[in-house]
Amino acid sequence: MKKSRGVLTGSLIIIVGILTIAPVLMLILGSFSEGLGSFGTFTLDKYVKGYSDAAFGTIIGNTLIFTLGTALVSTMLALFLAYLNTRTNIPFKFLFGVISIIPMMIPHILFAVSWALLLNPSNGIINLFLQNLFGLENSPFNIYSLSGMIMVEALLELPIAYLIIAPAMAAFDVSMEESSKVCGATQRRTMIRITLPILRPAILAAFTLVIVRSLASFAIPSVLGMPGRIYVLATHIYRTISTGFSADYGLAAAVGMSALIASITLIYLYRYLTSEGERYVTISSRGYRPAVIDLKRARLPLFAVVAALSALLILLPVLVLLYTSLVPYSMVPSMKAFSLMSLKHWMAVLKDPISLLALKNSLFLGVVGASLGVTLSIFVSYVIVKVRSTASGVLESLSFLSFSFPGIVIGVGFMWFFVWTPLYATIWALLIGYIATYLPYGIRPMSSAFVQIHSHLEESSRVCGGGTLYTLRRVIIPLLIPGIVSGWILMSSMFLRELSLSVVLSRPGTEVMAVQILRFAEDGLWGRLSALGIIMILISSTLVIAATLFGSWQARLKQVKD
Amino acid sequence: MEITIKNLNKKYVLEDRTIHALAKVNLTIPANRIFTLLGPSGCGKTTLLRSIVGLEMPDTGEISIGDEVVFSRERNIFVPTEKRGLGMVFQTYAIWPHMNVFDNVAYPLQTRKLPGDEIRQRVAKTLRFVQLEGFENRPATKLSGGQQQRVALARALVAEPKVILFDEPLSNLDAKLREETRKELRTFLSELKITAVYVTHDRMEALSLSDSIAIMKDGSIIEIGTPKEIYFDSDQRFVADFIGRANLIPGTVKTTDGPYLTADSALGEVSCRKTADLPIGAEVTICIRPEFLQVSKAPPGEGRNIFNGQVANLIFIGEAYEGEILIGETRLLIRAEATENLNEGEQVTVHFNPEHCPALAR
Repeated sequence: MKKSRGVLTGSLIIIVGILTIAPVLMLILGSFSEGLGSFGTFTLDKYVKGYSDAAFGTIIGNTLIFTLGTALVSTMLALFLAYLNTRTNIPFKFLFGVISIIPMMIPHILFAVSWALLLNPSNGIINLFLQNLFGLENSPFNIYSLSGMIMVEALLELPIAYLIIAPAMAAFDVSMEESSKVCGATQRRTMIRITLPILRPAILAAFTLVIVRSLASFAIPSVLGMPGRIYVLATHIYRTISTGFSADYGLAAAVGMSALIASITLIYLYRYLTSEGERYVTISSRGYRPAVIDLKRARLPLFAVVAALSALLILLPVLVLLYTSLVPYSMVPSMKAFSLMSLKHWMAVLKDPISLLALKNSLFLGVVGASLGVTLSIFVSYVIVKVRSTASGVLESLSFLSFSFPGIVIGVGFMWFFVWTPLYATIWALLIGYIATYLPYGIRPMSSAFVQIHSHLEESSRVCGGGTLYTLRRVIIPLLIPGIVSGWILMSSMFLRELSLSVVLSRPGTEVMAVQILRFAEDGLWGRLSALGIIMILISSTLVIAATLFGSWQARLKQVKD
Repeated sequence: MEITIKNLNKKYVLEDRTIHALAKVNLTIPANRIFTLLGPSGCGKTTLLRSIVGLEMPDTGEISIGDEVVFSRERNIFVPTEKRGLGMVFQTYAIWPHMNVFDNVAYPLQTRKLPGDEIRQRVAKTLRFVQLEGFENRPATKLSGGQQQRVALARALVAEPKVILFDEPLSNLDAKLREETRKELRTFLSELKITAVYVTHDRMEALSLSDSIAIMKDGSIIEIGTPKEIYFDSDQRFVADFIGRANLIPGTVKTTDGPYLTADSALGEVSCRKTADLPIGAEVTICIRPEFLQVSKAPPGEGRNIFNGQVANLIFIGEAYEGEILIGETRLLIRAEATENLNEGEQVTVHFNPEHCPALAR
């Protein structure tokens, strides 16, 4: 028993190690090499070239403004929404739950495109509308700007920030505030001295995680930044490797190192902050739950703000894409526009061999990739939760590492790796890259499923006369199924819309949907883009809704059993 | 400082039900005594406490602390919590986890903008008083339950408030620590000579800690008295039942004789102490607490309130026996000395003094 567990742990460390350490190692080695062809000859040229570039200062500046701005806006919004939801009597609270799952349904690149269609300076729908209305000469808004990028990215990261802050707010013991008032402190002093400091770990954790995610973000900077020549680290790296004949993977690796190091550091800070936040959870109140804050007359206006945010997040992108997929070219909605509507773009997409290939590839990656990924996650989670040895600790750190990998940077690392294998330019390269990068998202639901299976449950089945296999069939598997299903759907929906790793690894013949969308955007084929986008949204919404329904079905099942 | 409460009402609407958390409460809480609000959960005791401190706004009525009216619906007065100058220990202690012990205790003095030197002196003095000397720099997250409880007490006392309020402060401690802390708290509070209002649902806590007790039920105060009065002299069945284990036997008044009466019951004829002016034929509840039942194996003597029965069941709990005696069809809870050497199934004699056996009006 003990020996077989050791073998299992050892082989998992090797597999996960190859998946996570190999690309990093290759990235480091590559950054000291001349080019993909001349791997191994040591040179510092790429670092010198990358970091002495005159434009590099601007890129770092843009990256700082973009990531910090996004983190600030989304954290503030999340704080506001979490407060409204947990502490006040705002109506229709289910909307808050909806907000937190939306971005899983709408791929980021489509969200970015829909905002470009609405607010681009030459023919953005809202811009045209306002110009017509007020007789303006220039467009009032320009989404191709840092502030535009921050606004859109912040809306996309809002749910993540909300999911971190809302539970902390809900767990907050209100008597902490009340005792401050009894001690003679005013409302304002209580807020500054008590409420915000106690929530500080959660607020900082949300802020840090949003920085990491926006540093890795490629969809928004590429769709909204590149048209206005605003480059951040991710798009700068992309530019270095995508300029056809002169792609410089050494330079990309050298520049990518700084993003990778920053990201890993921030993730460790994030983990520290989350554990700090858990220490703040003291004795929870059992008896008295004070009445929620009555918003009185502000109730409906505040609700309108939440409803508007939800509309911005869900309705608007879908409507804009649907509309654009039907009209011949960008125009303000009008009677004329409706009379010109046709399925032209849909037919074009459905006849386009590359779009169809991308759809096929993405579906393959979504189904096969998620199945393999979940299988690996089951074994890794089992070792992490149940074996609990020094080696399993190593495995845990290894499998968590890729949580901090910016997709495009690790894509460059994988490029250096795959170029030496027969996997280069095959769909399997994408599959392996996906699993390596998104492994933590499979492990999380699986680990919590394993945590639920207390060893006593297993042991009592044995005592009742159940053998190993019988116990597995009657006790372990039924308890694991919710974790397996939700892990599979989560991974699958992420693979279906994967962009930042794919733009590096995808080659002719291995196109995927998100990359095809990016190509359409670069060529300005908005109609076809929208048609393909709607197909993408339909597939991932189906998956997310299936997951939600399955989750609530499981919850109901549990209630019945209790 | 005396607290006067007049005509307090408060209603909640909870899932289509209206709950009268406070129903016409009138109460005077005496100065410099330990006053306890005791009752089952949901009786309105915490709402009353929170109304005094200003965390809850009653629908109608008036509250005065000393000469100051802090709440009056009619005169539209509501002094906010932070201006009432009170101290309070919360059920969860509400120790702020991002501060150390010193900062937690100094907080009320800092809001009153006292000079730093004075704050340090007073915090040190208060920490010495609650026996937490030297804990100043300990982070709040590194305190045990009992220590957190003392920090909460120190924080409530440090500004020398007019009144200190306690909301079930011992309910989060384990049984042994709870007993020790109860004794300590009693010592602290009697040393300080401060008006203390204490909310609990634990009768032992209320009896051992308080100078006087108010029993609450369904938002109203149904009885006020010293612990002894509440325990021995209550004229209400609910109170007698709630405050301790009791045998409650229905009966009918047969004869009366000064402060005593005799009643017919399932036990037979029982002599009781009158708690109200009860006419012959009135329905009563006879209340006998287990500890006042004397159980012996000696043959029955002559006199009042002597009954023969059989030991139905018996549990040895260390310092005593607890069990039930079957008299006719009636089971009586008893508590007997451990030295008595009783056995299940034995024939015994039960005797009790009419003085310890009040007849309550039904």
